[in-house]
Amino acid sequence: MKGMKKMMSCDDVMARLWEFLDGEMPEDERQALKRHLEVCGRCFPVYDFQRAYLEYTRQLATRAIAPSALRKQLFMKILELDGAEDVG
Amino acid sequence: MSQSALWERVEMAWAVLSGTSRHSVDGPRRGEARPEPRGDEPDTRKDGFTEEALPWLDAVYSFSMRLTGGDGDDAADLVQETFLRAHRFWENYERGTNVKSWLFTICRNTFLHKKDLARNRREQPASYSDTELDRIPTAPLFHVRSEDPERAFFHGLIDEEVIAAIDDLPHDFKEVLVLSDLGELRYAEIASVLDIPVGTVKSRLFRARNLLQERLREFAVRSGYLEESAK
Repeated sequence: MKGMKKMMSCDDVMARLWEFLDGEMPEDERQALKRHLEVCGRCFPVYDFQRAYLEYTRQLATRAIAPSALRKQLFMKILELDGAEDVG
Repeated sequence: MSQSALWERVEMAWAVLSGTSRHSVDGPRRGEARPEPRGDEPDTRKDGFTEEALPWLDAVYSFSMRLTGGDGDDAADLVQETFLRAHRFWENYERGTNVKSWLFTICRNTFLHKKDLARNRREQPASYSDTELDRIPTAPLFHVRSEDPERAFFHGLIDEEVIAAIDDLPHDFKEVLVLSDLGELRYAEIASVLDIPVGTVKSRLFRARNLLQERLREFAVRSGYLEESAK
């Protein structure tokens, strides 16, 4: 029908959901997938769960902090190397 | 370098390294613009290393921890070698491009050089054959029934269990998952670090996530906060 935007199927959405969540989809496809999620009771909970998964893993990554001894040791070595080059 | 310039550099480096400069330590999030290189810096060979490379110390440490299977000493050695190598070859880095990808590439190459990839792959626990891995779907396989899946599932997880599940993934899967979900690299950046096509990155990443989630679900069921029928 003229003027009607094409709707993605549930299978299409499941196949492309990770790309959508990773922000790796072209804008027009992104909008089409988003429209589907807004009205689909089957796909939305999966989207919500996978989004929560990505939020969790990204928070997990921020909790990995390099030990202060390593920071200090690296800092001293780089200063030492820079100093040696300046002298050289 | 003058005394005052040296002291300024020491103070700045220490702020970055000690984590007191949080903005720098966190670095930009996935998809965000990287900081522009300063144009008023003197043209010295190692110039910009402290400002551009060191803020990624925690990210490289996190990546190293997963590469070394959670061995803190090995990870610290790997981080140190990575940054010293990056410092040594700093003139090869094109300023303003993606320094995080560049550091991850050096880190991975250093790891492979130290451990010998072929031997390392043979030693990988053979919990899954290639055929079995190919059978894992790339689309999400979870059937969510909970009304609040985030609270019901992820709030019950223990970081150590998740890290152990990541460490237990097949090597090729673990690499892409860590670079993407913990390292926040884009598909093209991961392809560049691992020297594989973008299509392979996507296929491995989506399968790795499904495999990881399946293992986390098993843990949730074992721990008793998710019913067996919730799959």
